Amino acid sequence: MATLALPRPLRRRIDRWFDSHNPPSRDSITLHNRRLYILPTRFGYLFAGMLLMLFLAAINYQNSMAFVLTFTLTSLAIVSLWHTHKNLLGISVKLQIPRPVFCGEQVDFRFEVSHANLSRRYAIGIQYGDASPVYLRLDPEGSCEARLRLPTHRRGQFRPQGVTVFTRYPTGLFHAWGWLKFDLPILVYPRPLENARLQQTMIAQYDGKTSTSTIEGDDFAGLREHRKGESLRHISWKAYARGKGLLTKTFQGNARPSLWIDWSLLHDGSPEEKLSLMTALVLAAEKEEQKYGLRLPDVTIEQGFGNAHKHACLLALAVFRQRDPDSEFSLEDS
Amino acid sequence: MKTADQVLPYQRIGQEEASRGSVFAVCFCFLFSMAPHFLTLPIWIIVLVIVAIGWRSLQNLGRIRELPKWMLIPLVLFGGIGVFAEYWTIVGRDAGLALLTVMTSFKFLESRYHRDMLILVFLCYFLIATHFLYSQSIMTATLMFATLIVITATLITLNQRDEHAPVLDRLRTSGKLVLLSIPLMLILFVLVPRVPGPLWGLSAEQRGGVTGLSDHMTPGAISNLIRSNEVAFRVDFDDTVPEQSRLYWRGPVMPIFNGYRWTQAPRQPLEVLRMTVFDEPVSYTVTLEPNGEHWLLALDIPTALIEDSVMTQDIQLTSKKEINDLLRYDMRSHLSYRVGLNESSDYLALTLGYPEQMNPRTLELGRSLAQQYDRPEDIVDHVLRMFSEQEYVYTLQPPALRGNVVDQFLFETRRGFCEHYAGSFALLMRAAGIPARIVTGYQGGEFNNVGNYLIVRQSDAHAWTEVWLQDRGWVRVDPTAAVSPSRIEQGLDNALSGEDSVFSIQNRNPIFGNILYSWDNLQHSWNDWVLNYDERRQRDFLSRLQIGIDNWSDMVFALVIMLLGVTGLYWLVSWYRDRPPKPQAYEILFRRLSKKLARQGLARGPAEDTRAFLRRAERSDYPQSAQLAKIIELYNRIKYGRQGSNRHSLEQLRTLVEDIR
Repeated sequence: MATLALPRPLRRRIDRWFDSHNPPSRDSITLHNRRLYILPTRFGYLFAGMLLMLFLAAINYQNSMAFVLTFTLTSLAIVSLWHTHKNLLGISVKLQIPRPVFCGEQVDFRFEVSHANLSRRYAIGIQYGDASPVYLRLDPEGSCEARLRLPTHRRGQFRPQGVTVFTRYPTGLFHAWGWLKFDLPILVYPRPLENARLQQTMIAQYDGKTSTSTIEGDDFAGLREHRKGESLRHISWKAYARGKGLLTKTFQGNARPSLWIDWSLLHDGSPEEKLSLMTALVLAAEKEEQKYGLRLPDVTIEQGFGNAHKHACLLALAVFRQRDPDSEFSLEDS
Repeated sequence: MKTADQVLPYQRIGQEEASRGSVFAVCFCFLFSMAPHFLTLPIWIIVLVIVAIGWRSLQNLGRIRELPKWMLIPLVLFGGIGVFAEYWTIVGRDAGLALLTVMTSFKFLESRYHRDMLILVFLCYFLIATHFLYSQSIMTATLMFATLIVITATLITLNQRDEHAPVLDRLRTSGKLVLLSIPLMLILFVLVPRVPGPLWGLSAEQRGGVTGLSDHMTPGAISNLIRSNEVAFRVDFDDTVPEQSRLYWRGPVMPIFNGYRWTQAPRQPLEVLRMTVFDEPVSYTVTLEPNGEHWLLALDIPTALIEDSVMTQDIQLTSKKEINDLLRYDMRSHLSYRVGLNESSDYLALTLGYPEQMNPRTLELGRSLAQQYDRPEDIVDHVLRMFSEQEYVYTLQPPALRGNVVDQFLFETRRGFCEHYAGSFALLMRAAGIPARIVTGYQGGEFNNVGNYLIVRQSDAHAWTEVWLQDRGWVRVDPTAAVSPSRIEQGLDNALSGEDSVFSIQNRNPIFGNILYSWDNLQHSWNDWVLNYDERRQRDFLSRLQIGIDNWSDMVFALVIMLLGVTGLYWLVSWYRDRPPKPQAYEILFRRLSKKLARQGLARGPAEDTRAFLRRAERSDYPQSAQLAKIIELYNRIKYGRQGSNRHSLEQLRTLVEDIR
């Protein structure tokens, strides 16, 4: 069953029209009359069909009470039309900027839904695209937080644009809804390569002449046996490639090793695989508290470390050559 | 703040599994809407319904498993065949209802998702309509509204998505919805243009078990009918009500006699009614309860026709259609008349016929009377005198008669009801060579002084005779009047006092009587305004309102305007009641302060509450921070303090805020 009784192309057109009239918001969105739409549901049409049947039967049998019933049910539908509308009117929704996630994880949307009226609101649904909704009840002047966790399939920076808040309460004959356009970024970082595969890839990459990451610590002291739990960052991949086993590089003094995670040094794999690898390296470097910088064909992030630095790097990786920058966050795996 | 949390499986609205509470609600809803039918449905269907609902409920509790899908096909076949075996059809009112019931029960067994529950609720709405094929009384209507509230509450339960909402709350919301739809319903009822039906043919079994006059008369037939207290029709007179003894409501006329049974002649329309009248016509309106037959009741004798009606040659008003619904018609009668002076000889021959070999003693008496008297009037008088002077008893419990019934009654038992007297009188007349026929109908009626109309019940059923005299035509002779004059003058109750149950209201306790009259008056108005509101009545009513709505397009226009008006009114009222509370005076002052501070570069953060914001403003190197400190203190005292806001503190706050640049 379609969420709305409207064909998709038509919905898109209305959507675009809506967009041009209601610019996306950074703050909370309140559903006023102009932002609120209402149409019969499929059950509403079914109900109308039943009313027609009853009406014809009433005419045929000239049964006055059948007329009374038909007209009462018709009136019930009309009354429930404005009840449904009223149930949604004046609802405010605020979306908190979702925490960035790695591709494959779920984005956690937190909506703060509230209203200032003295009525109780039932079955206020929040829905992203066609995914199944979450329902809330709002007490008079109350508020409630709705959480939607949506899967991610693609890295990039997106806009949450398929959010609708809707209701079918009380009779389910009508679907009232409002589109919520938030001007907030949803960040999906590339999926980091898992540890096991990271090692293999590093070795394979290292077989060539170049290095994925160039270590610039001048205080290199020597190699020793690698101990479990130690950073992969310090493993001498060169030695490993020569069959000497896992050896860890040791450094002298307090100097941090600093490294460049460089796109141009990677020559194997698809761009997405390279980005995955680089993401894993960023995470590993951050964990080891190394200084690191990022070199992408069009972006260079100077060496540094810390949370802000990490996110800057991950953001650069996320939006690197993104096919359709700032597009709608979609649930489908495309 | 509450949190609703969900990780998403992909599923669309309606396809989710029905919640436990909603299944129970729908089960209850179905039983509630079905309940009145349990009195009429065959027992196996009732058992089937209960088993199906029981199964679904236990399944809901997790006690038994879902019925396997393949079981449904044999079940549906079984249901269909069962219904057919019961009624020998699957269409029509009774069989249709049985089929709908059986199939709905099976739908319960395969229901699983939210949308199945919604469809079942719709079926319950539909079920309400079936009750009206059996009864349209005020009680049924009241029950309908109760059922409507229950079903709507179930629909609300399904759409509320909140298992913990109290049931009473749902019923209240549902009651509110139904109550609010009543004014709209009334507008629709009055203004939706009515179309004359039927649109398609109706099967004959439409009505069953209706008591009323029959198309033939045998001894005992009317005394049985008289035990029914049901209303046959109600009459509103335009002017005064004629006296009781003149209220002969003419029904089926029976000129054919086979020795035992009187029957009607084949219906032949009367071409011209030739009559002489001696008084002003009586005008009145009859509201006839459905009788499943063709006859229309009117005061003797009717001198008007209504739509789709025919006057037969024996001056009987008949409808072309079976009267299966309440019928309301305006009628006119003359109570003093002379009719049938030039009756056809064929018809006169018919009204002289009798079987020679039956009732010999009666025939003999009749023939001897013909020899004894010259004038037919004297023969009539003789027989009437015989009834009143000899030991004839008027009783509702006459002994059963067999064989030559007229002989037995006249010469042996001598106890009988109106049909005994009318039947034997007519036969005597025929034997004496006077054309005679039986007229059945009702006599009298009970005046309801609450509503100023006459109630005629089945218990007023009566039979009398008409004899044809050379220069007077058909003359009404009521032999019952000779036996028991009080029957005609005061009604059945007085004639039979002490012998049988008393039906009419007038002999009871006056207070109780008035309540009953008021109730009957309500039913009469109900019939008049609700059940009878058809195309014609709609036109009459709207033209009587004199608001210039007299055609289809005007009606539809007025309808739309009024619906919009009422809905708009609802909307306004509910908006006014739910509107957000007005901000407090101190909040307004605070907003003004925030604007001022924002101009100074001290904007309030999106997530900052008022206290935090003020504190931050105070700590900043803002020049008037001392003033701000005072404001904060005052603001906190007003908002959170025990005394709250009073005029003095508000004034103080206002001055402080105004001082801020």
